[in-house]
This record gives sequence, C-alpha cells and structure tokens, in this order.
Amino acid sequence: MSQNNGAHGKPGATKQNNASASTDAALNARAKSPKGGKPKGWLISLIAVLVVVAIVIGVTVFFNNKAANDSSIAGDDSNASKTSDTVTVGIKLAPVNLDIRHQSGSALEQLLIGNVYEGIVSRDSNNKVQPGLAKSWEISDDGLTYTFHLNEKMNFSNGDELNADDVAWSINELKAQKYYNYDQVKSLDKAEAVDANTVKLTLTTPDSNLLWNLTGRAGLVFDKDAQYDAKTSALGSGPYTVVSFDSSDKLVLKANEKYWNADRKAKTANMIVRFLTDDNAAVNALKGGDVQVLTSVPATLTKQFQSDSANYTVSTSDGSDKFVLAFNVTNPKLADQRVRQAIRYGIDHDQIIASRGGVDAPLGGPIPSVDPGYEDLTNLYPHSVDKAKALMAEAGYTADKPLQLTLTYANVYGTELGDQLKSQLSQIGIDLKINYVEFSTWLQDVHTNGDYELSLVDHAESHDFYKWATPTYYYHYDNKQVQDLYAKALAATSDDEADGYLKQAAKIVSEDAPADWLFGYRVTVVTAKGVDGFPQQLSQSVLPLYAVTYRQ
Amino acid sequence: MRFLAHRLLLFVAALFGVSVLVFVALRILPGDVAAVMAGTAATPDRIAALRTQFGLDRPLITQYLDWVGGLLHGDLGTSALTGRAVVAQVGQRASLTFPLIILSLFIALLIGLPLGCASVLANGRRMRGFLHVLAIVGGAVPALWSGLLLILLFSRGTGLIGIFPSQGFPSEGWHNPGRALSSLVLPAVATGIVAGAGIMRYTRAAVGDVMDGGAIDMAMACGMTRTQAVLRVGLRLATPQLVSVAGLTFAQMITGVMVVESLFALPGLGALLIGDVGNRDLIAVQSELFLLAAFFLLLGLVIDLIHRALDPRLKAADATGTDAGDGTTGSAASKGGE
Repeated sequence: MSQNNGAHGKPGATKQNNASASTDAALNARAKSPKGGKPKGWLISLIAVLVVVAIVIGVTVFFNNKAANDSSIAGDDSNASKTSDTVTVGIKLAPVNLDIRHQSGSALEQLLIGNVYEGIVSRDSNNKVQPGLAKSWEISDDGLTYTFHLNEKMNFSNGDELNADDVAWSINELKAQKYYNYDQVKSLDKAEAVDANTVKLTLTTPDSNLLWNLTGRAGLVFDKDAQYDAKTSALGSGPYTVVSFDSSDKLVLKANEKYWNADRKAKTANMIVRFLTDDNAAVNALKGGDVQVLTSVPATLTKQFQSDSANYTVSTSDGSDKFVLAFNVTNPKLADQRVRQAIRYGIDHDQIIASRGGVDAPLGGPIPSVDPGYEDLTNLYPHSVDKAKALMAEAGYTADKPLQLTLTYANVYGTELGDQLKSQLSQIGIDLKINYVEFSTWLQDVHTNGDYELSLVDHAESHDFYKWATPTYYYHYDNKQVQDLYAKALAATSDDEADGYLKQAAKIVSEDAPADWLFGYRVTVVTAKGVDGFPQQLSQSVLPLYAVTYRQ
Repeated sequence: MRFLAHRLLLFVAALFGVSVLVFVALRILPGDVAAVMAGTAATPDRIAALRTQFGLDRPLITQYLDWVGGLLHGDLGTSALTGRAVVAQVGQRASLTFPLIILSLFIALLIGLPLGCASVLANGRRMRGFLHVLAIVGGAVPALWSGLLLILLFSRGTGLIGIFPSQGFPSEGWHNPGRALSSLVLPAVATGIVAGAGIMRYTRAAVGDVMDGGAIDMAMACGMTRTQAVLRVGLRLATPQLVSVAGLTFAQMITGVMVVESLFALPGLGALLIGDVGNRDLIAVQSELFLLAAFFLLLGLVIDLIHRALDPRLKAADATGTDAGDGTTGSAASKGGE
C-alpha cells in the first residue's frame, strides 16, 4: 500500500495534474492536505482489519481452550462416577422416516425393533431367535401350526393393553395390506387369537425360516386403536418411546414409563441417536464428547482411538452385509461360465479389504457367517491371474481383444471400489466401464428392470439366500437344483437338516459363479470410556439400547 | 403504478412457466419414490401398492393439476417420504442457508467495494495491474477449491490453525448462536471471495463509467481531490447499479452456496434438494424448486423497485413511456463481464 504513495504524484495522474495546476494558491494548498492524510486512511483500515481478525482468532482460541479445560474438569469428575441420564449414539445412516411398515432400510430395524416396537419373538446378538412378546411357543410336527404363549399383562406405551388380538391383527394386516416384508410370511394362511394370551399361526406349507422372520419386521405388534403419524413418530410396546425425529439430525428416545417387562426396562432415561453422515464430523463428535458411542466408523479412521485405549474401546464384529458383485447371467457375454469364473479368479479380495482398513471379512459365497448354512467357501476361487487369463483365452478374449463390460453401481459406495475392480480386471483382459449412478437410478435400471451387465450393491439383509432361488429377482439366477435344495431347507423340520441343505445350495451357487462376493462388511464400533451394555455383535441390524449406560 | 402492474403480470406468467418446466423436467428422471421406499428386497406387488398409495399411477396431467391446485391454495404439499409439510422442511433448512448467504454477501461487499474503488483510484500501472489480476484470480478460483484450502488452513482438528469448525452445523442450531455462527464462517468466506471478486469488477466498471461522465470532473472543479470525488460523488452515482449487482449476486448465491454446503456438510437447502432428488421425492422437489424460483423472481422485482427509488431518472423515463428498468440492470451486468 505504501508503494501507492510514491506512484501517486507520478505519470498516470494526468487529470490530477490539471486539477492541482490551479492558479489559486489557496486551493492548491487545500487540495494537498487530504493527500497527505490518504495513506493514513489506508493504514488505519488495514490496522482495523488486522485487529478484527486478531480479536476473532483470540476469542475463538480462548473459547476453545476454555472448552478443553471444561472437558478436562469434567474428566476429573469421573472419579465421582455419576451415571448419566442421557447417552448419545452416533450412527451413519439415517432413516428418512419412521414408517417401519412401508419404508425400506436396515437403519429402521436397527433403531426401532426392540427399542420402540417389539415383535412376537426377538433376535439376540448372535442372530438366534429368543422370546419376545411370546414367552414360549410350540411348533407342530408337520411344521404347519405355530402356537405362541404370550406374556401376561403387557401394554403399549400409551397404556393400551397388548393381547393376542393385537398380535393376530398385526400379522394378518401385514399380509392383507402387503406391508414391507409381507413376502416373508407368504407361507402363512392365517393368524388367530385362541384366547387372550395364546396366538395360533396356521401355515399352508412348512417354512423353517418363519420363526426367524418373525423376529424382524414381520413379527412386530402394533396398537390397532392408536392414531399417530407413523412417518414422524412411532408407538409400540418397547422400553423406549419416540420424543422427536428429524432425519437430518437425530432421533430422541425417552424411557417408556409404562413398560411391561421389568427385565428389559431402560437403564438410561434419555437416549439420543444422532445421524452423522460425514465420517470426519462423526469422529470429531466423538472426540469432542458430543456422542459417547459411534457405530460404523471406517476402519481407516479408528487408529487414533485404538492408540488411546485409556479413553476409548474399539470393537469390530461380523454382520450380514454382503458386497455382491452380481453378473447378469442372461447377458450373452456373461452367460459364458468361463467368463464369470475368470472374473472371480481375477479379483484380489485381500487387496480390496486391505485398502478399506483390513477389517472386513473375505466372503466366498452367498451366505454370511452369521446366517444358518454358512461355510467358508473362499477357497473355491482363490486369486489367480493366470487361471483367469487362461479361462478368458478359452472364452475367446485376449489382451488385444478385451471383453467390454459395464459395472453399474450406486454412488453411495464411493468410487474407489469401482476403480479397484477396473484395474484388477484390466489385468485379465476385461475392459470395465464404470457407470456410477444415483441409488434410485440403480434401483430402477438394475433392480426393477434387470438391465445391467455387472452390478455392485451391499445386500445388508440377513437370511436372504432366497434371492438365489428366485429367478425373477434381479440376479436372474435360475438353477433348478438350487431351488429344490432351498425348498427342502424350508420344508425341513429341524435346524440341522435345514442348514445342511442351505450349505449344499450355497456351494452350488458359488461354484456356478453368478456373482462375486467381494467381502462381508464388518462394523466397527467405538465407545467412550464409561459406556456399558452397548451390543457388541450385529449392531447394524439388532441394536437393543435398554442396557446401555454411561458413567461420567 | 402501471410499471408495478406490468411487472406483477410478468411475475405470475413466469411462475406458471416455472411450474410446468419443473414438473416436466423432473418426470424425465429414471426411478420413482415407490421403488426407493420399497428398497432392495422389494417385490413388484409391493412397488405397485406404493405407487397407488402415492398416486403415481395417475395420468401426469392429473398429477400436475393436483399439484398446481394445491399451490393456488398456498399448499405446497407433503413430502411422500418424510411425511412432513414441504413448507416446514424448506423453512428449517432456509434458517441455515439464508444466514450463510447473507454472511457471504457481507464478506463479498467487504472485499469487493473497497478493492473496486481502489482499482479505479490506483494510478501506478503496477498497482492497477495487480488489482486487475487479483480480480481475475479471485473470480476464477472455484468455491470448492478455496473451501478445501480454508479447511486445510483453519478447520478445527485438521487445519494448520484450527480455529473454526469445518464440518456440520450444531445440532441445537441457532439456540447456540456462537457455535452456529462460527460453523458458517469458513463456508461464507469460501463463497464470499468468489462473489467479492465479481463485485470488485462490477464496482470498477460502474465507478469507471461515472468517471467518464462529467460528474467527477465537476466535483473536482469544485475543489474535491480525485479520491474524494470518486468516493463521495462517483460511488454515490454508481449505487443504483451496484444495488442491482448485489441483488443478482444474492440470487446467484442461493445456488452457489449449495456446493459449499455439501463440502462443509451443512444441512441447508442444497442438501435438502440433493437428498430429495436422490430419493425421487418429486412432490417435495418440485415444490422446493418452485419456491426457489418464486424467490428469485421476487428478488428481481424488489431490486427493480429499489433501483427506481434510488435513480429518479428511471421514473422520468417511465413517464415518457419506456421501461428503462431492465435496460440499466442489463447494461451493468454486461459491463461487469468485460
């Protein structure tokens, strides 16, 4: 700015010269005096700006330090060991609404089942069926009649009584109104209340999956007399009630004072679930103490917590999420089994898992480790570029004449996966084009219309092997043997028998290579010191919060 | 008065055009809200049932008339997905986006006006060139990039000088004004710099224009120095044009801040629109876009009115039967582009 000063009297100022070349000496004198003041004006404004910036920085730094001191003081209080009446949990995926009978998405099941809504039976963290509203049940020898004995003196959070009528109504309504997952009870003929505490389900065909299905949305019991907006609130019989819900911010839960079950009464009065879609913001929220638990932290961001084991606990557990790279077998290029097998040999799963932080589980087939019928099938197609190249050559493709394929996948999964697959498959003579689309476009093109070559999606549902036995599903996989085995598994009356058939079927599917299972996503949960009772397993789908406590 | 009636008529006609355009454009997108709601385990039956429930199986004309009928009653509809009124959703998000825009505009004016005047006043060739380059570089830097740079420099946690939060908005919102404001500082600076460079160029052009007229010479003849004349007379004469420019910048920023919102993970209008388009919640999207378009148009109307109030010559021109309002705004805009 001071340069401006020197340049001022010089060449460019022609007009100025004219003006100051006044004949009136007094005017000239007046004209010069403000010129002398001018640099001061600039200087003053410059100083003013600097001062303002300095003050802003100073104040924020001061407040930051103060906040840090406050939290360290709070840390000292931990000796007093006070149980907090509020626990805040951060999760990544927010449900768009709370309408569990219409809206898809595992986030809804995760948040509401077992906390706000309860099912006739429940699921534990090992994915096994446990008593729920029913304390016991009997299944007839032919597998066609299920009799449930309900707990006594149950009620909804609004005080309404919960009895066998509500249970039977809820299940019949699911089927009649075609609510979400109604297809899970297609073997059901009808549900009826035998007396106030007994419900009988009659089936048309045996269904070994039914009981497990009833632990999910299909078995939930709703209050038929209650009026509420199911999209913005929820009314059930669980240990918590919904105070408020905003899908861009948080779900606030409060302990249900009228809860019927003394064993599962909420231990913390207020439970807040915050939706933190941005991973860095989520990590900062945990570090800043805004949340006490953070689920689904990317493994690449957990190092800082692992190294601070005095204040944080990091745990990773198996889940039912399967990243499925589906091959459209009705496409002429992919109808050739050699091509499909070559792709499976050509993909280096270890590399993909390592780049994601090394916690995900290799998965060789359609059934994840938490589901019945699981067996380790990763040895069927070990990574081998040579084998893949040989198969591609057999099928008539070489490096000079590569096979052109298009992978369609949704932009919720990040571009890295597609890029990795592209570079891995280019080594075996496949020129992979990536079609990176919105999730709704993927749903329309791939899921609804089945119009794709390769598709990648995370199938989060547990017990979803039926998709490989349903040719109308977008996999288009049609194998009579698999369908027969799956039918036998459903008709089986003992779990062992059913598992055996599922194992056989899963192996056939994997050998046939209608898809590659890139990995099983394993969820990483970080809890702050003092948090107790947070479920360690399967927290992506079953998240009972009643036992969670936080000691400050 | 005739001017106002004329403008209002245009306003209504434009709104109608916008409603048709928005409606048709959104139907071209593949996929629908029923499929999104039904998810990956959906059966065709389930999707069909949801389509009926949302009225998506009706003819498009019926759907359009239904929607416009609602608009005429002031009913913007309810989001199919969240079950909330669209007005409420927009209001909630606007309480973040509008403060952000106003803050950005404030920063832009703070940068643009003084530097614009300085570049008119600068005498040395070097100074002039420097300010010219500054204006071009400032205008050419994408807000996305400057935002990233600001995060690297000033964000709490990752920045060199970690003073401002860079991700998200406090969950308690404006109940905690300090935190809310501090989370808007970096995004506002990111957009403010770009817009500020634009305003700087406009200011230079507008004030330069005035200098070519006789007013400055006159003022200097009356005894003011060049600086005084430019700042006191030139700037005041250029005010009507600058108000137009500031108004246009405000309107541009409504879309401009959306990029920055997503960079700083702020749940503003941009995030709402992107989410709703992604979920194919078309009733919500079309009402939101309609509201935004109506706001743009209203802003244009208000600017024209202020413009006339500030510049008496326009009223005089109107008396002789020409509508000069658009002409002046247009010329200011074209000057700025040089």
